[in-house]
Amino acid sequence: MNKEEIAPHVKEIARVLEGKVKEQDIEKDLDNYLNVYRMSLEASKRHIVRKYGGDPNSLTKGERKLLSQLGLSEQSVDLLVRVMSSNTREVMVGGSPKTIESGILADENGNTVKFTVWDLSKADLKAGENYLIRYAYTKEWSGQPEVHLGNRAVVELRPQDEVKVPDSVVVPQVGGGYSAPIVAKVADLRENMNNVTLTGRILALKKKEVETPSGKKAMYTGIIADETGKVEFTAWHDFGLKDNEVITVSNAYVKGWKGIPRLSFGERGQVTRPKVKMPTVDELSRAVRKSIDELERTGGASDVIVTGTIVDIKKGTGLIFRCPECNRVVQKGVCQVHGKVQQVPDLRIKVVVDDGSAAITAVMKKEVTEQLTGITLKSALDEARETMDPEAVGHRFEEQLLAKPIEVRGNVISDDYGLSMNVTEAKFIELDVRTEAEALLKKIEVI
Amino acid sequence: MKTREVAWRVFASEYNASTLEIKGEGEKAPSYVVTPLGAMVNRVFIVGLLTDLQNLGTEGEPYWRALLSDGMSKFYLFAGKYNPEAMVVLSKLEPPAYVAVVGKTRTYSPEEGKIFVSIRPEKIIRVDESIKDNWVLEAARSTLKRIDCMEEAMQMESPSVEDLTKLGYPQSLAEGVVRALPHYKEVELNRYRGMVLEAIEQLLPERSGEIAVPADMPMAGPEEIEDEADEEDKEELVLRLIDKLDTNKKGAPLADLIREAGKAGIGEAELEEINNSLLDKGLIYEPTIGKMKRI
Repeated sequence: MNKEEIAPHVKEIARVLEGKVKEQDIEKDLDNYLNVYRMSLEASKRHIVRKYGGDPNSLTKGERKLLSQLGLSEQSVDLLVRVMSSNTREVMVGGSPKTIESGILADENGNTVKFTVWDLSKADLKAGENYLIRYAYTKEWSGQPEVHLGNRAVVELRPQDEVKVPDSVVVPQVGGGYSAPIVAKVADLRENMNNVTLTGRILALKKKEVETPSGKKAMYTGIIADETGKVEFTAWHDFGLKDNEVITVSNAYVKGWKGIPRLSFGERGQVTRPKVKMPTVDELSRAVRKSIDELERTGGASDVIVTGTIVDIKKGTGLIFRCPECNRVVQKGVCQVHGKVQQVPDLRIKVVVDDGSAAITAVMKKEVTEQLTGITLKSALDEARETMDPEAVGHRFEEQLLAKPIEVRGNVISDDYGLSMNVTEAKFIELDVRTEAEALLKKIEVI
Repeated sequence: MKTREVAWRVFASEYNASTLEIKGEGEKAPSYVVTPLGAMVNRVFIVGLLTDLQNLGTEGEPYWRALLSDGMSKFYLFAGKYNPEAMVVLSKLEPPAYVAVVGKTRTYSPEEGKIFVSIRPEKIIRVDESIKDNWVLEAARSTLKRIDCMEEAMQMESPSVEDLTKLGYPQSLAEGVVRALPHYKEVELNRYRGMVLEAIEQLLPERSGEIAVPADMPMAGPEEIEDEADEEDKEELVLRLIDKLDTNKKGAPLADLIREAGKAGIGEAELEEINNSLLDKGLIYEPTIGKMKRI
């Protein structure tokens, strides 16, 4: 490595050593390790930091990742990729023109990501070639990671057969604010994704007239599903969509509400009707089962089923009273917004369901509560009157619910308090312990 | 987004063997007990037989110690004035009873390098046997997953969280396993496999004789196995005797039991052993000294 190549690494070591050692000394050492002793860059840096009493773990480590594993703010990451497209352009940086390079990278799994090279003397990525990129970093753009190659970046040209990108990945030439196309399943959808391609079956479809500044406009909303789940969609253009048909939407984008994604596509979107296998309407209409840690990773989902054990009963479970104006829960007939009101009684359950992978708060409204517990609002009110204790029903619910295995279905959202589900169906699970035990035993015996 | 700590399903013998604690740094940062199989436990969900309950404090300021058996080993539970909800329930419970507990880990370190783990209950509730059986299944499944993950990690040159999550293990488990491995070094996975088998055996009592033992587990000779089968019969016999002699529903008097067992060819010493085994399995208990009763 020559002096120029070494420079950014010297700077990094100096940063870790907090300026305690002169850069010239570090440079001399690093040059010595690398070019005389032929040690690897990584090991050399660690040695030098340790030698001067620093913590080698503070060095940013280049970690090899797949594109699908990229976080939004990676400090230092290694990637083995194919360059799908690459263009140079001039930008103004600090008042002077600078040439940068940007384009799209893909990996063997068919994932793609946008990249920018900020220092063409360090890296020049040619379309159609494979590279091992080291010490890159990522930044967020529209909710997606983008790979940046700064002055620390090191790239190595790799043989053609090392990265084989699936044929299905087609990358158009890069334009201005273009983001790499993402071929996604419903379960992969996240808020703020752009340029999404998704194949699924339409389960519900409604036409709506909306007023826009440019006059009346027809829009279409509905539900599209694949084997990984369901998602609501909005089409701002008439694509001639029909109920139950299988479509591929491309150049769609994802908006979200509290973690529940919603797929949108307008005039720039495209709809094709591929001949692919897709489960039937009936199969897709069933709610998809998810483990709670899966939901924690995605942040929300429409119409899913979760099974777990009730491990906690939250306050506000049982007989509650609401404000007739705003529906808020009132205390002693006083609404925090509307003051003294003619309160309306209601039944509710708020519990924590835990499946051993993570936990979720499940909220059940009156109908679900009555059906699950067998206690109606009327009998709850009677009981409260008899016992003179409005909390008696809540206590009874706790005894009925705590430690019970349960299955809940509904939409899952996430906010500052974690995951919660608006439950539409709930039932206690009665397991056939014998059968399950025998099945488990077989599994162990196979090992 | 703050997430609630998950409630781990672990058997007592794995939990109690934990000697690694990760203390949370800073305010409100959670602490964890890392088990030999890599469960990073802050909260547990356990179900078992409450076998012993004692107030170690005073009437005015009670401090409860409870023992909860999962059929193989026992969890230690402690509840004092800071666990009012659990205390109220405990004060009304009487062993033996199946109970479910949601609780937080608690450690006690009498000297450097030694730690004892117990559980501080948040919620306790009396449950029926089906809830217990269901829990045993869940705990068995989750233990097997940890054994698998640990085994994968042991085969890696330098196991990392990333490599383990790539194999499909959840992040939390991968983290725990990576931390547990250097601390516990060689974990006897087959001991834990044996434990899981024993747990499932509880759910399928009639299968107990034919359960396969993992290949490199210490095998008992054929005679010993026969002996064990014999044991089972004798336990069954003693259970029947207890039922027969328990005429006033307050338990079978031990003197009568010794006499009847003697007639069946079981000596006094052997009877004591059988009784102890049945007590351990949670099939009988001693309502008062000198009386045995079926659960």
